[in-house]
Amino acid sequence: MHASLLLPALLLVPVLGAVAAMANRAKDGAAYAIAVTTASIELVLSFVTAGFYKNTTTGFDFSSSHVLSSFLGLRYSVALDGISLLMVILSSITVLFALLGARDRRREAAYVSWQLLLLAVTVGCFVAHDLLEFFVFFELILIPCYFMMTQWGGANAKAAAMKFFLYTFTGSAGMLIGSIYLAVQHQHEFGGAITFDYTALQQVSTSATVGVWLFVAFAIAFGVKSPIWPLHTWSPSTYAAAPTAAGIELSALLSKLGAYGLLRFGVALLPTIQHDVRPVMLTLAVISILYGSFVACTAKDLRRFIAYSSLAQMGFVTLGIMSGSTIGTEGAVLLMFNHGVITLGVFTVVGYLERRRQNVALGDLRGLQGPMPVLAGLFTVFMLATMGLPGLNGFISEYLILIGAFTTHTWWALAGTVGVVGSAVYWLWAYQRAFHGPVASADAGLSDVSQRERLVLWPIVAIVVALGVFPSPVLNRIAPSVQHITASETPGVTK
Amino acid sequence: MTTLHAPAINYLAILPFLFLTGAALFLLFLTALTKNRLSTKVSSTVAVSAALAGFVATFFQWFEINHHGAITTASHAIAMDGFSAVMTASICSSLVFALLIAHDWQGRERFNGAEYQMLALLATSGSVLMTQANDLVLVFLGLEILSIALYCLIAFNRRRLKSSESSMKYFLLGGFAAAIFIYGAALTYGATGTTNVLGISYFLAANHLLHPGLLFAGGGLMMVAFAFKVQAVPFHFWSPDVYEGAPTPVTGFHASIVWGGAYAAMMRVMIGGLGTQIDTWRPIFFGLIVLSCLVGAAFAILQGNAKRLLAYSSVSHSGFILLGVWTGTAAGLSASAFYVLTYAPVVLGSFAIVALVGGVGDANHELEKYRGLARRNPWIGASLAVLLLSQLGVPLTVGFVGKFSVLSATINAGDVYGAIVAIVSACIAAFAYLRWTTGLFADENLDTPPLVVPWASRVVITLSVIYAIVFGIDPGLLTSIASHASLIFQP
Amino acid sequence: MGHAAVLILVLPLLGFFAVLLNGSSLKERATGAIATLAVAASFVATVVAFVLYLRHEGPVTINLFTWFNAGALHVPAGLLVDPLSLTMCLFVTGISALIHLYSMGYMAGEKDYAKFFLYLNLFVFSMLLLVLANNLVLTFVGWEGVGVCSYWLVSYYFDKETAASAGKKAFIYNRVGDLGLLAAMFILFTHLHTLTYTTIFQSTSLLSPTDATLVVLALLLAAAGKSAQIPLFNWLPDAMEGPTPVSALIHAATMVTAGVYLLVRMSPVLALSADGRHVIAIIGGATAFVAATIATSQKDIKKVLAFSTVSQIGYMVLAVGVGDYTAAIFLMVAHAFFKALLFLGSGSVIHALHGEQDLRKMGGLAKMIPLTMITFLIGWLSISGVPPFSGFWAKGAILTNLYTTNRPLYVLGVLTAVLTAYYMTRLFVLTFRGQARFSTEHGQPHESPLVMTLPLVILAVLATLGGALDLPWRHAHSLSNFLGASIVPVGAVHQSSGLQLSLSIVDLVAAVVGIAAAWSLWRNHSERPSLEPAFLEQVWHWDGAYDATIGRPLTAVAGVAGTLVEDQIIDGAVMGIASGVVSASKEVRKIQTGYVRHYALAMFLGLGLIVVYLVARVG
Repeated sequence: MHASLLLPALLLVPVLGAVAAMANRAKDGAAYAIAVTTASIELVLSFVTAGFYKNTTTGFDFSSSHVLSSFLGLRYSVALDGISLLMVILSSITVLFALLGARDRRREAAYVSWQLLLLAVTVGCFVAHDLLEFFVFFELILIPCYFMMTQWGGANAKAAAMKFFLYTFTGSAGMLIGSIYLAVQHQHEFGGAITFDYTALQQVSTSATVGVWLFVAFAIAFGVKSPIWPLHTWSPSTYAAAPTAAGIELSALLSKLGAYGLLRFGVALLPTIQHDVRPVMLTLAVISILYGSFVACTAKDLRRFIAYSSLAQMGFVTLGIMSGSTIGTEGAVLLMFNHGVITLGVFTVVGYLERRRQNVALGDLRGLQGPMPVLAGLFTVFMLATMGLPGLNGFISEYLILIGAFTTHTWWALAGTVGVVGSAVYWLWAYQRAFHGPVASADAGLSDVSQRERLVLWPIVAIVVALGVFPSPVLNRIAPSVQHITASETPGVTK
Repeated sequence: MTTLHAPAINYLAILPFLFLTGAALFLLFLTALTKNRLSTKVSSTVAVSAALAGFVATFFQWFEINHHGAITTASHAIAMDGFSAVMTASICSSLVFALLIAHDWQGRERFNGAEYQMLALLATSGSVLMTQANDLVLVFLGLEILSIALYCLIAFNRRRLKSSESSMKYFLLGGFAAAIFIYGAALTYGATGTTNVLGISYFLAANHLLHPGLLFAGGGLMMVAFAFKVQAVPFHFWSPDVYEGAPTPVTGFHASIVWGGAYAAMMRVMIGGLGTQIDTWRPIFFGLIVLSCLVGAAFAILQGNAKRLLAYSSVSHSGFILLGVWTGTAAGLSASAFYVLTYAPVVLGSFAIVALVGGVGDANHELEKYRGLARRNPWIGASLAVLLLSQLGVPLTVGFVGKFSVLSATINAGDVYGAIVAIVSACIAAFAYLRWTTGLFADENLDTPPLVVPWASRVVITLSVIYAIVFGIDPGLLTSIASHASLIFQP
Repeated sequence: MGHAAVLILVLPLLGFFAVLLNGSSLKERATGAIATLAVAASFVATVVAFVLYLRHEGPVTINLFTWFNAGALHVPAGLLVDPLSLTMCLFVTGISALIHLYSMGYMAGEKDYAKFFLYLNLFVFSMLLLVLANNLVLTFVGWEGVGVCSYWLVSYYFDKETAASAGKKAFIYNRVGDLGLLAAMFILFTHLHTLTYTTIFQSTSLLSPTDATLVVLALLLAAAGKSAQIPLFNWLPDAMEGPTPVSALIHAATMVTAGVYLLVRMSPVLALSADGRHVIAIIGGATAFVAATIATSQKDIKKVLAFSTVSQIGYMVLAVGVGDYTAAIFLMVAHAFFKALLFLGSGSVIHALHGEQDLRKMGGLAKMIPLTMITFLIGWLSISGVPPFSGFWAKGAILTNLYTTNRPLYVLGVLTAVLTAYYMTRLFVLTFRGQARFSTEHGQPHESPLVMTLPLVILAVLATLGGALDLPWRHAHSLSNFLGASIVPVGAVHQSSGLQLSLSIVDLVAAVVGIAAAWSLWRNHSERPSLEPAFLEQVWHWDGAYDATIGRPLTAVAGVAGTLVEDQIIDGAVMGIASGVVSASKEVRKIQTGYVRHYALAMFLGLGLIVVYLVARVG
């Protein structure tokens, strides 16, 4: 297979899979089998892509494009660098394991098709090499999420879904205006037809004021998805109401879209104004970290808890991205991947717990380590990974972010470092609540995770450990792309 | 004694108009000659073929224009330019859809005969005339042909009180609008000494008005009349009542056929004719835009009735289209034309479904009636979802592309605020569409029997959905057409 | 030698995996045996490495692989084998092996027997990684590893809320300390662009005095967390919730000394900041004294030993503060011997009394568990500073130098020595002398099995002879000389042998006074409220103070953030906008009356507005 066909394949395979699944909706279980196969193929494809990927200087590879409407500047244009590659792999891993770990038999064909479409759209976001195309996929994400939530979600999922949709839809409205504005600027500056091509738009020289406004527009769109404080309030209700698989995908993938967009378009597209916006963004990042830690301690149930923990974690990501240091940004990209994998694990475990006892309200969970030690153990692994325990993947990314940020923005980094204690506090608090102490009589009989359920999680645990011990393969692939971005930023900060 | 010289006429230019009016008269004779009532099949067939013929004719116009350029004919009273051709095509195709919907509706309501088709053809011919009218008098003519036929159509369901009531409202207000227009035209004539749109623009290009008051008043008045037809706030009040009252197939007329003509005329007159004064009109446009976008969206989210909801949503969409006009640039006009092209089929498809759900006597238009539709009729439910999401402006549907094109043109014309207002309204309106869509997939009313979907409606729905998705993914063809949809002359 | 060093590290890890994979299927004995053998083998490897080192001379770095690189940051997975790390490895592996053996008996019949040894092996691995790592980041791995193992083992009886909370408290206090280590690494990297020990030590000149002081203070914070020093010492007593072998291994012999190890390891950086060292000394002295006072009034046998541990580590930190690193390590080793001995002894006592830990419910055990009593006696005399036991020499080394370097702290040190002798004697008397006060419902107390007593005997021997490691008159061929290769001393102290002798006598007197006082006061009492003031028993109200100043305020903040800010303010604003739009629309909607006259009116108003505007424009 020719390498340039890889990205189109990555985009098409899930769509075809979805169609096939719907076509076989009558046969029981067929759709599920098709979906799992498709997701596996996608995973293989993404690894093949990783194999073909060469670290060229600019980092972009496999680029191919096709103009859809020159009048509107609407293009299909894909390319991929180390960062996108990592995110594509994350997407396929997430969806595959969401399918495996959180099967839902109600109208299964439709459900899995939505998940496959979500996969396609997410991959589209990560490989889009055109601002408008990215926006298209970025908005499109909402559709699968919305339908999965409204049709398969739990209690008052409809309200939560509506809030989620309107919040994120409105959030990215500004980005559309901003994107068009940038493209128009490009047209005025260089003439020719209007274009949203990524590399072309990088040439635009905006005034400081305009640049800052554009950044604000972008940052809001990405800050909602990420989420960054105070744009996060959609996430707890969404996480709580979403069906497990959708919840996994929301928490593991959507937040990454926000962070990825911030890095790719917020930072790399507007390098000159970074020093104007950094103080604000870094402060918000630190607030996200600390605020998330505090509120997590008051979370009503495990799903909301994960939402706030993610807020704190994504705060670290933002800290790294906005630090302007190569080390910090590398850490941020790595944490995007790691947090995705870890959340995938945690959410799956919570899903298992929900299979056994319907609610996961922290109020009435107690002593579960007694009846289900293995489940507790798995939860512990992901807990420690999130807390940044060295030897597990969470540590290296968090560490790089903090040390990188320290070299450029000492005080913010120190404030963020306090979050390291915070994460220990709220995770151990939650763990003690749920798993320690005497077990309630009602739960004493709960069965531990089955063999099949374990098999789903072993690979995730393996990744968590492997990337904690041998992160180099990943770091080496993202390093050039990250350096390309940070190098373009305003000098004056020591990298 | 002097002989009256009939002006030279380019028949290709008026071919679509001739087809429509001709078919209308033909049906009239047919009904007069045949003993018992003409069957709907026959009348529909005749009307649809006429509409198709008109549609095809626009292709020849299109090639003619692309090869020998735009022309005016009938002593410059009628223009044939890319713009008119595109709008005519849109109108004729919309008529096909509208007729197909009506066909099933007539079957359901047992309205035999050709009256409906005749009126529809006449109304459409008026609209077509408006797209080409290069003379204020002709604009008025088209306006009246369109309106009068429309009054009758709205009142068509004589068994429904709402139907005739809303027709009466529309008639009264429409009367005002017409009067305002003709008065505005007169003042403009007074200011420029001609009623010919091109003449006006040449005059204004050549001379500097010392006392522009007369012209301003004329333009302002005509603009009000157009705003009335395109449901721009605050001249939109009739629309929810009329949408609700009119037979659903007729409701489909407004945002497709009526808008085609009205917008074409508005652009030709206000931009092509009075374009030199654009700075004067812009604030008025802007007011209309802000009000239409926001009021339309804000009211849409409150509606519990499908047709009223669509009425307000079309008000909001009208705001978007005005945005393109307001830029006054060729790109802006193309964007607006494009928006009409994208919106008409989608809205007609929606009304096809609304008509089905509405059932006999337009009884069921509450949104509750739609709950669980996708469970009873999966394909219809899914189609409606697609059409609604397209109106919401979700990417990979024409709705998004349309909105995007207008916003792009606006920002390119150097105004961000208009774009922001528009997009905010889109965010508000999203709630209305979402609520409706969500209901479709609810596990409710499962006991109610699934809808029977006649073939004609099926065709309309399928085509509109395909249209919405295909051109949503690759709008290249549409946009290149729209980008050539330019007025014969634009200052 | 490289291979040996790697083996030291790998063997316990292998044990861990062996238990992890087969723990559920194997028999108790087998599991315990595997775990114990793994650590014992690791000890052997250490001895081999040690011998080889003595031949080979000079520190060695072993690079296993590149852990991660980012920008200027290069972190290898490398080991540094030098006298310091070897010394640590020797006693860590040795004592771990003994305690593993002991645990096989002590933990017999426990529910999560396999899990216990799983954690224990992982702990040993982490501890060895901590001491063998050749860079700060890798040390941090071990640092956190021992922390989490301690968390697991303290909350081993997880269905006991107190145990669960104790584990959490231990981990969080350590995390606070970790901030220090992280900060130290950040500062060092920012200025030196490396975190590898050897390169750091070569380039210390690039460090400004201020930065050096900051680093030292940060390291002190780290040490305070891990080694239970003021202000972070009060997690250690709670940690006694864990099984006694854990208290012996982790919370007496090894992990808690990691802080001291870190400070000694960073001696070249400490050398740059006299102020920093001064603070260290004060913290150490204060901790030693405060903990000793508290130990005098504890009623729980393990609590007494816990505070005694805090106090002894205080001595070590104090020694580090005055630049007497070798003495610190010397006491660390000796302390490892006798404190492990004491804890295991107490474990044997608790075992004999079926889990009784309250001193008031003991007494008169001398006859019933003689072997335990004798070994315990050795431990007691050793820690009290009675010659010829190791404690006397080790503590002596510290105090003697202190006399010249810092007189006030010397006085404090001697006072602490008196208190130490006092509370240990009290402990011994209450446990073994006097009449029996325990209930015999579970049957008569009996001596523990061999697997438990054997380690006691071995440790007793070590506690007796440990002093030989570094006798004052033969420094040249002893620990201090050996360690010289891996530390940067701060101005060597020269004392006449006469002075040294007299100071030793002072130490002896201190010990005797303490013992005599306790003996006379406690011989025939089980409790004396006048000598056990609540203030001391309540740990100087330290926890209460933290709870009032930090715990409750932060909880309040969290409460406010979770309810008011989150729901009312932030989300309130969002939902407010939404509902605002709706209600506004509802208001405006009223104009849609349905009356055509109103519609017409609206049209004309609109028209009017336009006309007004146009008129205005015309001028």
